Amino acid sequence: MTGLLLVNSLCKRFGGLVAVDSVSFEVIAGRVTAVIGPNGAGKTTLFNLISGTIPPTSGQILFAGQNITGHAPEKVAAQGLVRTFQLVQLFQNLSVEENVKVGCHLHTRGGVLAALFRPRWAREEERAVEANARELLEFVGLADVAEASAATLPYGQQRLLEIARALAARPKLLLLDEPAAGLNREETQQLSSVIRRISERGTTVLLIEHDMTLVMNTADAIVVLDFGCKIAEGAPEDIRTNPAVIEAYLGGVEGISSVTGDNRKVVADE
Amino acid sequence: MNEISYIIQVLVSGLGLGCIYGLIGIGYCVIYNASGIVNFAQGAFVMLGGMITQLLLWNHGVPLLLSGAIAVACVVAIAIVIERIVVRPLWDRNASTFVMILATLAVQIVLEGATLLIAGDQPKTLPVFTDLPPLRIGTVAISYQLIWIAAASAVIIFGLAAFFGHTRVGKAMRACAINREAAALQGIRVSTMLMMAFALSAALGAIAGILVTPTQVTAFNVGLPFAIAGFIAAIVGGFGRPFGAFLGGLALGVTQAGAVVVFGSGFKSGAALAVLLIFLFVRPQGILGTAK
Amino acid sequence: MRLHATILQLKAMTAQQSGSRRRLLAWLPGVIGVAIVLYTFIGGGYLVSVVSFGLIYALFVTGLNLFMGYTGQVSFGQNAFAAISGYMSAVLTTTYGWGVAPALACGIAATLVVALVVGYPALRLKGHYLAMATLAIGLIAYEVAVQWQSVTQGYMGISGIPPLGVFGYEITSDRGNLAFLALVAGLGVGAAALIRHSRLGRAMTAVAGSEDAARALGIDVARYKLLAFLIAAAYAGLAGSLFVHVVGFVSPEVYGLHMVNLAFTMLYVGGIGTIAGPLVGAIIIILLPETFRSFRDYQDMAYGAVLILLLIYAPRGLASLSDLWSGRARG
Ligand SMILES: Nc1ncnc2c1ncn2[C@@H]1O[C@H](COP(=O)(O)OP(=O)(O)OP(=O)(O)O)[C@@H](O)[C@H]1O
Ligand SMILES: [Mg+2]
Repeated sequence: MTGLLLVNSLCKRFGGLVAVDSVSFEVIAGRVTAVIGPNGAGKTTLFNLISGTIPPTSGQILFAGQNITGHAPEKVAAQGLVRTFQLVQLFQNLSVEENVKVGCHLHTRGGVLAALFRPRWAREEERAVEANARELLEFVGLADVAEASAATLPYGQQRLLEIARALAARPKLLLLDEPAAGLNREETQQLSSVIRRISERGTTVLLIEHDMTLVMNTADAIVVLDFGCKIAEGAPEDIRTNPAVIEAYLGGVEGISSVTGDNRKVVADE
Repeated sequence: MNEISYIIQVLVSGLGLGCIYGLIGIGYCVIYNASGIVNFAQGAFVMLGGMITQLLLWNHGVPLLLSGAIAVACVVAIAIVIERIVVRPLWDRNASTFVMILATLAVQIVLEGATLLIAGDQPKTLPVFTDLPPLRIGTVAISYQLIWIAAASAVIIFGLAAFFGHTRVGKAMRACAINREAAALQGIRVSTMLMMAFALSAALGAIAGILVTPTQVTAFNVGLPFAIAGFIAAIVGGFGRPFGAFLGGLALGVTQAGAVVVFGSGFKSGAALAVLLIFLFVRPQGILGTAK
Repeated sequence: MRLHATILQLKAMTAQQSGSRRRLLAWLPGVIGVAIVLYTFIGGGYLVSVVSFGLIYALFVTGLNLFMGYTGQVSFGQNAFAAISGYMSAVLTTTYGWGVAPALACGIAATLVVALVVGYPALRLKGHYLAMATLAIGLIAYEVAVQWQSVTQGYMGISGIPPLGVFGYEITSDRGNLAFLALVAGLGVGAAALIRHSRLGRAMTAVAGSEDAARALGIDVARYKLLAFLIAAAYAGLAGSLFVHVVGFVSPEVYGLHMVNLAFTMLYVGGIGTIAGPLVGAIIIILLPETFRSFRDYQDMAYGAVLILLLIYAPRGLASLSDLWSGRARG
């Protein structure tokens, strides 16, 4: 059991607001870890810090033994840490398949000359990219719409596409920011299965989610944030009954299984 | 001694031109604050102000003051038309910043072309407002036109301060500048603000154009240099700060005058462009920092 | 649940079908462009030189399209790069007696160096700052061309520039120029197509789509912006040099702001972000004043007006024709 990602007393201030307040936790390789917490708890900010989108005010982030604190997002991605976004960020001007091909960027080379003269290695590489993209679209169930423009996909498929694209970068650690937001029940179930299969493929997953069914179905460990602070951490069963967590979610009237801290999605946990 | 008075002389004329740049710069800020749009047709307002006044005065014998007033009204009307038929549809479609810039730049080119057709390509000028020999303070000569420019600028600045500080429309515009969504929630009609901003900005540009024309010539193509100068003023002052823009204009006027003294008159626009690039590359937030 | 899945499937199928029809239609403008070039070549007459200019502009606009259409950046200053290369070609061949080919190569190299030096700081800017910085670069190039009289001969310009040619062979006929330029423009457009469907092109398009997402996938956004800028500058430089050799004359006005206006109109007519759009747009727009004689006097104004109308009503230019066909429209 090794910590693939180590977050150490991480802080982020926006003016007077402390969005992330000395948060420390560990993501164990091979597991699915979930970050939960009410709206505005600082979950996305935490992801932004880890992925290098914004620099932390203080604290440290170690990934696969390397200090990546304050590194640019493209550097972090090159180390094997790839994220998706709370608001889907597809390349609308590309087709579904091309979106996934962009994901292969890190594992291919070739610039202007390769584009113009197409040497043998570049053609082979392109074929490999194509096969890889097809395989990933198959994996998330989007093979049928490979040729369509990414902008025309229904929302649920856009989410899956974003995940497929991130997988194309062959992450060691995949960060998913509310992957189930805006999905209906069936789509959420499909997503659960995708996340479990990603984990089975050997990719470590760190995900933010409000949908407790999804969290309970997929997560091996949970970190709970409230007002920027980590208030609990542990196995799903422990979190479910943790008084501090219940307190954070609306004063513990009904417990975490039915009140998920926002009104976007309240899903009973069966 | 002679040298010093020469330098003072140059600085003074630089300040005069700087006032003009400052007024144009304020024009950018007014529209930017109301909408986030940067209007690249700002120079056309300046050019049209001078040209229309000249046309009325010369061809129709309308007295200067009246010509100027009609010109300002015409330019304001043109600006409102532009806002209605070009900017508004793009704004409603949520067009990108870049499309908006390109469209307003195209408006500038169309207005230039129309002016060329109507008024020809010959440079024109206006008589000075007060035809008296310059005032002498020691060895420094100050022309009456310069005094007009400074005085008019001062009046405009105070007028704007009162407008933004005390009128409903002015306060609403400031609210838009701070946070457009919040302003809309408070019941401020942001789209009306956009039209008002274009009108105000056009009036400022036209007045600047009328004030400056007696000191130099005007022609269909003088708009762009003024647009650039005004933009520099706005950047130096921190984009979106009207009074910063005015100070930025003064700074640019003086710098430009200095560059002409040191390098020769061919470097007037070169100097302005150099200032622009330096600020953009080194300190795009300006001296005072941007408004937002 | 069944129903839902079926609908999804149906949607996917129609998307694919209209996709292939769209792709066919996407070829149509390109075919028309080629047909016009062929027609003028066979027909001859004064249109030959007009279409030749169209092809030179097609190169210029293709570069612009790579930077703006694919990569989603802004440059109002591409005329500066045409000017640098054009003047370099002109001065090296007339004052120093160089051959056309080395002068042209040198011109493009100089363009790339300048593009690198100004692009590095400029591309960190966004929105109106980037727009103004690039506009300023174009205007500075104009000022330099006017002021640096010892080299550029100011407003007078440089004349007697030798025509295109290599190894003592010179293209002297208008038809020869047209054929050569058609070849070069074809290669230029082909290169753009190759770039678009490569790792490089995808990365550039990703930058346009979402910088955040591109960076999250390991794309060095700043690097690809600069690369796209350099490629666009190379196209502009090539066009600028070809122009002076075809016309035999250069002056600051050749690369004035009207060039930017014209290029944008062409780009938007043909369809920004498409492969053949720049070529088609360039040829259509260059032929317009020939069709309407009286149009000449108001050229700049008319181009500006066309551009405004396109931006408002048909932001995808001719490329939106295929949308009309398949019965859908996108903003
Ligand atoms: N760039 C920023 N500037 C200022 N404040 C910010 C910024 N980003 C986030 N915040 C603030 O930080 C706090 C945490 O926001 P964050 O987006 O991380 O919450 P979250 O837990 O992801 O919430 P949600 O569940 O709604 O996505 C919020 O109060 C938010 O307003
Ligand atoms: Mg969030």
